[in-house]
Amino acid sequence: MRMRTIKPWWVIAAFLSGLAFAMWAEELVLSTQEGRLEFAAPRVHFLVGKPLERLRNASEVPFVFKITLWSGTRTHVLREVPARFVVSYDLWEEKFSVTKLVTPRRTARHLTDNAAEAWCLQEMSQDVTGISANEPLWARLEIRAEDSKESGLPFGRGNITDSGINLTSLIEIFSRPAATTQPHWTIETGPVTLDELRRGRRRG
Amino acid sequence: MRTLFLTGIFVIALPICCAPFPDGPLDNDEAGPTNVNTRLIVESVQVSGQGSAKLSDPLRSELSEFAGKNFDQPLLERLADRIKQELHAPDVRMHVVKGDMPDHVIVNFEIGVEREKRFDLDLARFLYHSKQGWSGQGHATVNIHENAFSFGMISDGDRLSERYAGIQAGFERRHVGTDRLQLRFDFASYHEQWNEATLLEAAPGDIYRTRTQFSPTATIVILEPLVVSFGVDFARYRLSLPVANTESSNAVVSTLRYHQRWGSAGDEGEQDIRASYSVRAGTHFLESDPVFARHETEARYRFRRRHQDLSIGFLAGKISGLAPLFERFVLGNAETLRGWNKFDLDPLGASRVVHGSIDYVYRGFLVFYDTGAVWDRPEHREQKQSLGLGCKKSGFQLAVAFPVRTGVVSPVFYAGMNF
Repeated sequence: MRMRTIKPWWVIAAFLSGLAFAMWAEELVLSTQEGRLEFAAPRVHFLVGKPLERLRNASEVPFVFKITLWSGTRTHVLREVPARFVVSYDLWEEKFSVTKLVTPRRTARHLTDNAAEAWCLQEMSQDVTGISANEPLWARLEIRAEDSKESGLPFGRGNITDSGINLTSLIEIFSRPAATTQPHWTIETGPVTLDELRRGRRRG
Repeated sequence: MRTLFLTGIFVIALPICCAPFPDGPLDNDEAGPTNVNTRLIVESVQVSGQGSAKLSDPLRSELSEFAGKNFDQPLLERLADRIKQELHAPDVRMHVVKGDMPDHVIVNFEIGVEREKRFDLDLARFLYHSKQGWSGQGHATVNIHENAFSFGMISDGDRLSERYAGIQAGFERRHVGTDRLQLRFDFASYHEQWNEATLLEAAPGDIYRTRTQFSPTATIVILEPLVVSFGVDFARYRLSLPVANTESSNAVVSTLRYHQRWGSAGDEGEQDIRASYSVRAGTHFLESDPVFARHETEARYRFRRRHQDLSIGFLAGKISGLAPLFERFVLGNAETLRGWNKFDLDPLGASRVVHGSIDYVYRGFLVFYDTGAVWDRPEHREQKQSLGLGCKKSGFQLAVAFPVRTGVVSPVFYAGMNF
């Protein structure tokens, strides 16, 4: 019987299509506006799936955002800025409300889903005064929906019953990778200079 | 000065005025609720699903009090937790939908049904006792279409006058035609170890090296809190005589159980009563070597309210005839007369027992008092008492107990779970 082999060009095609899909799916767009670096991710939607299900059930859903900037080289972290947002959905108005948990709090109301997502990203803009216009920059945006109380403590109520510690539940908790328990998104871009961003804006 | 003040206002106001606005109004410096639905009014609160009819009146009236108030997610989630606790439901989910009136919502608590786990692993008991050492018990269960097959291992030096270690296996059918009838078959095989004090007191024919038990039982739910179990227990044990000899202790077993619970651990408190009476009769009819009748009654009342937990227990038992050592009553372990050593009280166990205990837990801090007596002859009956303190949380317990007596008092320390 003759063995069928996989042609190398199939592997390359699969890799390239995967890469193209990844590039299409995840895109962090940078722009500068009056000395601030602004972020947009038109193809990333975090008000979907489980978080949206919770929102449509009148619950509020906290999201943690983190911006990481590298300058000069990819190993030099310029800054890491986390921020926490709480999103809720008005059942009657069918609009979103977002609160940034900083002091003082900032809240935007009566937003569509896309506008709510854009507002969160807009609130993550960074001051880039003092950064050389020719210095290469890399940026990463991480978004994580925080779990409600479902995360479960190892020795929580559900795991200890009248018949003892339920080891099955404990195994489930410890074998679950932390990253997959919560909906999360990570997108990156770079290297890009402030000069290129300014030129790009003028062209656009 | 005035110029500086105006410049300050300008510097602050300018970025705010120039900042791009989202397509909704922006509020600054807010400390109010982050959930926009708090403006909505709860039209009604409903409970649906299995067991919803069993909800206590105080909790039901508390639920209805939410109608007409603003939607408060944390409060309603706490209420869902209380429903879950009171009904011992595996899950209670809150669903919120638009009401009939504008800006009103209907809240529905849906009680989930228990999902049968195909495979389950339980550490049923774990204990360290400063006089008796380690004890542990664990089992694995496989559930296939309401049939549960379990296999476990045990090493227990606490409950009986012997340390028994070995394997346990079981089959359980939870519904036999009706929800009111269950069938169970248990098998166990143990190796025994004996304390020096027991070996000194016992007759050569009392001590056995191995023990094998097979016990088929049926359980019938007579009336919801009242359950009766009956069956037989076939035990074979190999004596430690120079000429190895095997004896059988075959008994008819019957147990009547009562378990009632009401209220919830919230405001009004939860009350729980468990009581049982069991009889085991070894008879020649089943070709048993020892002939005996063992009666045992147990009761426990528990009251829980917020951080307080009060538990009062009672145990009494009597054996007539000559029962093997594993049937005899033992006091002075991690559950009874805590602080006393069972080998000091009666190294062989006894044919009569009376015991009472009071446990009080406040925010995990435990104090307890035990009293009881074990005896074979009335003239040997002597009431013993013990006191102890420790901590108890979620099935875990760590305590030190002191026997109440004159002379040298050596405390007993124990730690573990579910004993």
